Amino acid sequence: MVKNVKQKEIRFNFNGKEIKGHEGQPIAAALFDNGIRAIRYCDVTGELRGIYCGIGHCFECRATVNGISGIRTCLTPIEENMNVASNLTGVQYDEE
Amino acid sequence: MLQVILQVCSMMKSDVVIVGAGPAGLVASIELASKGLQVVVVDEYYRSGGRLLGQLYKDRRKKQVWAGKIIANDLVEKAKSLGVKFLFETAVWKIENKTVFISNEKIKQIHTKTILLATGAIEKALPLPGWQKVGVVTAGAAQTFTNLHNVKIGKNVIFVGIDPLSISVAIEMKHAGVNVLGLFLPAPSMLNQKSNPKEVLESIASASGMATNPIYRFGGKLVHGLYTKLLLKFLKFNLLKINGIPIYIRKAVTEINGRAEVESVNVKNISIDGELIGDGKNLLVDTVCLSGGLLPLIDLSQLASCVIVDIPELGGFVPLHSPYLKTTVEGIYVAGNITGIEGAQVSMAQGKLAAWSILKEFKLVSEKDLLQAIKDVEQARSLSPITFLPNIHRGRQIMNEKWADYKNTIGESFDG
Ligand SMILES: Cc1cc2nc3c(=O)[nH]c(=O)nc-3n(C[C@H](O)[C@H](O)[C@H](O)COP(=O)(O)OP(=O)(O)OC[C@H]3O[C@@H](n4cnc5c(N)ncnc54)[C@H](O)[C@@H]3O)c2cc1C
Ligand code: FES
Repeated sequence: MVKNVKQKEIRFNFNGKEIKGHEGQPIAAALFDNGIRAIRYCDVTGELRGIYCGIGHCFECRATVNGISGIRTCLTPIEENMNVASNLTGVQYDEE
Repeated sequence: MLQVILQVCSMMKSDVVIVGAGPAGLVASIELASKGLQVVVVDEYYRSGGRLLGQLYKDRRKKQVWAGKIIANDLVEKAKSLGVKFLFETAVWKIENKTVFISNEKIKQIHTKTILLATGAIEKALPLPGWQKVGVVTAGAAQTFTNLHNVKIGKNVIFVGIDPLSISVAIEMKHAGVNVLGLFLPAPSMLNQKSNPKEVLESIASASGMATNPIYRFGGKLVHGLYTKLLLKFLKFNLLKINGIPIYIRKAVTEINGRAEVESVNVKNISIDGELIGDGKNLLVDTVCLSGGLLPLIDLSQLASCVIVDIPELGGFVPLHSPYLKTTVEGIYVAGNITGIEGAQVSMAQGKLAAWSILKEFKLVSEKDLLQAIKDVEQARSLSPITFLPNIHRGRQIMNEKWADYKNTIGESFDG
């Protein structure tokens, strides 16, 4: 059976909030673990957007990572102190 | 001068370029490199394995767990030890005259003698009102997040679209501790053919003849009961369950609701012929997984001017190819799901066949070796723990016939 070796804990920042994740996890997976599914607002309709395809095809999950925009959070592994930002800044999340 | 240097830096040479580091591409790379060829594997994902990465289930025949992530890692290690070069996060965007154009920071083109397209499959969209909401994901995303990233993607989850993929992902999610409320049909629309209860049931029944354990048991029941009382009973009532997960063959999701994120879905009954009936109900869910079926990813073969044929039995449009996986363009080969939708073990056997077919061109293997590789593909097909398309064997026959026709029309003898 597959054993999941506990990976090193990593902290990064999502829209000003500190998030804990594990080494090797894509950003979107770490956000999911913290109860965050909405990644950005759609510029056209103003609706929330999150992951859809999970493997880099649809670009629904994009955010600005360390200043570079259009990065797909479903593919990009987290790094210590990484800064992930989207146009959701200032929005309150439902803590669960 | 500067330009010359830039050109030199941005170009690479190889004997074979493989597009796609899924099971087909990985196995091919090992076969080719072990016979001494220079091989470059290009993949746009950040790691290798393709759709193998999300696969995790019990193989009924071998009585062991099929853990795609581990199999993929082993294959990559082997390939690397044989000198195969990998370019990740690099997409191939054009192929022209044996030059492969890639989106890589350093390398822009690879000049090569042969190209193997192993680009796999993509999920068909299943548009439903509300499908853009946060909490709606594809069955493939659900599989990847559950099995590869070990994330629970929701608390109360349903699937829309009933097929071998959604059934197996639902089982995997339930194992991972997610509350899977059931699988539903999509509301009928111009765009999908997945709303007719009878057709859906027949299709999963025949496709599941050799599927993973629980689907097999379910399919087995149906195959024996096909067109008999049992099928009618299943169609009449909503009492199908696989591993405790309800399969609502007579209910369709018509709309996904929620202000910011998914909060509920509208569900209506559906007649045996696929017509919505009655007023419907509201079901509280936080996550909806859409399964619209799989399509071979053929755009690069189109760009490379390969002849494309439509064979629904294989999953739709696919590049015309010989029994040895040669396309109509000299030097371009195909393997894996680009040739038709099948399970990972078949893709691996095809990866070997394509590699040997290429090795034959380089005069490194014999005709006899090739025939053995073809037999191995057939063997893998008959032992595959999952079958996506009910008439896959017929599809492969049609492809061989079309290839023979093509060879005749261009005036060449049938040489495979
Ligand atoms: C969502 C989904 C779930 C599946 N689940 C199962 C399952 O549970 N069990 C099973 O047996 N089969 C499953 N399959 C079928 C699966 O396609 C096969 O198992 C197998 O992975 C196919 O192997 P492949 O090598 O042909 O392609 P893939 O495994 O799909 O690999 C193709 C690779 O090519 C890369 N690629 C594509 N285009 C380009 C390009 N232009 N440039 C660079 N790289 C590119 C992709 O990033 C990918 O890594 C699933 C398929 C999908 C789409
Ligand atoms: S979810 Fe589709 S690209 Fe990230």
